[in-house]
Parts: sequence; structure tokens; C-alpha cells
Amino acid sequence: MTLNVEIKRYNPEKDDAPHWESYEVPADPLDSALALLLHVKWHIDGTLSLRKSCAHGVCGSDAMQINGENKLACSVLVQDLVDNDGATVKFAPLPAAPVIKDLVIDQSRFFEKYREVKPWLINDNPAPEKERKQSPAEHEIIEEATKCIMCGACTHACPSTWASPDYLGPAAMLKAYRYTFDTRDDGEGERLDTVDSENGLWKCYTIFNCNEACPKDIDITRWLSALKRRSAVTA
Amino acid sequence: MAVDTIDQPAKPAASQDSRFQRYRVRTGMFAWMAHRLSGVALVAYLVVHVWGLRALTDRASFNELIAGYHAPIFKIGEFLLLAAVVYHALNGLRIVLIDFLGWSPNQKRLFWSLGAVAAVLIGVGGYPTIYSLVEYFFLAA
Repeated sequence: MTLNVEIKRYNPEKDDAPHWESYEVPADPLDSALALLLHVKWHIDGTLSLRKSCAHGVCGSDAMQINGENKLACSVLVQDLVDNDGATVKFAPLPAAPVIKDLVIDQSRFFEKYREVKPWLINDNPAPEKERKQSPAEHEIIEEATKCIMCGACTHACPSTWASPDYLGPAAMLKAYRYTFDTRDDGEGERLDTVDSENGLWKCYTIFNCNEACPKDIDITRWLSALKRRSAVTA
Repeated sequence: MAVDTIDQPAKPAASQDSRFQRYRVRTGMFAWMAHRLSGVALVAYLVVHVWGLRALTDRASFNELIAGYHAPIFKIGEFLLLAAVVYHALNGLRIVLIDFLGWSPNQKRLFWSLGAVAAVLIGVGGYPTIYSLVEYFFLAA
């Protein structure tokens, strides 16, 4: 099949504003959406900029807006986007983030929020000789949240983030959940101070765009709700 | 010696900051937008409602005001008011179940089942209003 691939292009050295360009791309239904972009870059227009690394849904580099929804380009198949010859697939950078060039966004704001929730183990007790132990049952509480690959699809899909750029967003607060509910961690107090704030948990209106966008199918809203309850109880 | 390998772009990155983004609307975002709209509509209604109460000072002006409410436009408004209250209440219940009991995995089923309950309540509760509108427009000879 041949698809009409539309890409939102922006070159800061030439363009005043982002604009759409179309390309005709041969495709197989079992190709990934990323393959369409790489065909454009390798065979049609080498100036196209995008982030990708592993291309297998592990590194989280190629999150972007595909047909109006945030997805990981390498983890979505052509057949799940369109089913007829000549159909259009649209690629745009993640919304509500500054665009550096084409599909490449400036992630600094995203990672600043990540660092704000102290995404590391906080435990002042001296480490035991071998390791800090955790039972399988204790790990099960945070298992799903540990699958996050920090691609940013969720945070940039969230209407609360669109309205308040300083809102911590689902990705950062999922990390806060992951460490707060880690039985080896003692940093609950400091972390809750950060998320139980004007730009934290209470701007989550359970809109579920984060869940829909997550390429790892993490029920982010569920874990943020658990964090809301913990925060309300200990405040 | 550290080498900065990233050239600064000629111009700062293009801002995409806007509270309005084009995005595919799925169940959760639809439920939220309808919740916001019905909420704002109810606040607007409250203003009109309280404003109407100022006529309570004497019997004559109150009766005059109430007579005005029998116009078909107010019947339609009455129906929309019921719909907004029922939807806002039931979706509020859905949010409570999600946030307090962790029912997030069932959010879509919750939306459709509470939506069915809302449709029944609006249909039954709004029947007299709809009937009076039908009577006004089609049956009145």
C-alpha cells in the first residue's frame, strides 16, 4: 500500500512557524509508524529531524503525536492506524513542548519536573551487607509503575499540562508513586511535600489521556489516585 | 576539558504552549469536558435563579415572573437543567469511585453504565417537560 504521510515540519533557521508537508510512502500494514518516518528521511528528504534509538519500545525516544494522539512511533503498527491504500498518517511533535526542529522537542522542562520528585531511593539507614530486601508481594505494589520508559507521551497528552506548563504531570508523579510506595524508601515526607502542591496531584482531573497515551499500558491514573489518597491521609 | 557538542539553535525553539491543543477525544476526555461544561452551565444557571428570587418581595411581581417561566424556551431550559444536574452528579460519582476506591481500570465501563442511568433519569424526569413541549407545539389546536 502507498500512504500519504503528513509531517509537521519546522526548521528554526528557515521557517517562521511550523507547517505541514506531505510525502508519498510505500508501506506494509505490519510496518511500524517509525518505518514511515525513516523512509521519508532515508529516501525522500534527509533534512527531516526526529529522535529514535532502539526502535523497539524500550528507550522511549520516539514519542510523538500520530493521527492526533500521542504514541511511541516504533510501537504502533501501520495496520492499527489506517486500513486503506492512500490513507493519511499525520505526524507532529508532542504537543505543549517547545519544538527544536521538526519532530524533536525540547525535553528540559519534562526532565526538570522528573528531578523535582526526587526519583531515587531515599533511605538514611546504613545499607545491609548484601542488599535492601523486598518481598515479591511488596514489589507487586510498584511493579507496573516501574515499567515507565520516560517517553513523555503521557505528560504531553494531559490537558492540565497544556493549561499549566508548570504542572508536574503524570510521568513525574508516577515516579513519585513508584518511590513513595517502595517499601525500601523513607522519603515519603519530602516527596509528598512536592506532589501535594498547587502544581501537583490536585490538578489531575482523571481525564485519562495519560493512560490512553502510555505505550506500556500503565494505568497511571490509578497510581496517581493512590498517591492522592496517601497524601490526603498523611497531610 | 568538557566539550559542548550541542550547538545552540539559531532561534529559540518554537513554542507550542496553549491550553487548547488538537487532540483525539476519547471516553475520559469527553467525560471531563462534559463535566466542565455542565458545571459552568450550572453556575450560570444559579446566577439567573438567584436573580429571579429578587421578585419574591411581593406576590404580584412573583406571579408575573413565574408566568413568564411557562414559555417554551424555559421548558427547554428546564430539560437542559435536569440533564446537566444528572450528568454532573453521576460523573462526579464516577470520579469519586476512581479517586477514592481506585476504580480506574473500570473507568470506561463506569462511564457507559452511569451514562445509561443518566439517560433513564433524564428521560423519566424530563417526560413532563417534553410532553408539555409536544403539547404546545403539536397538539395545541
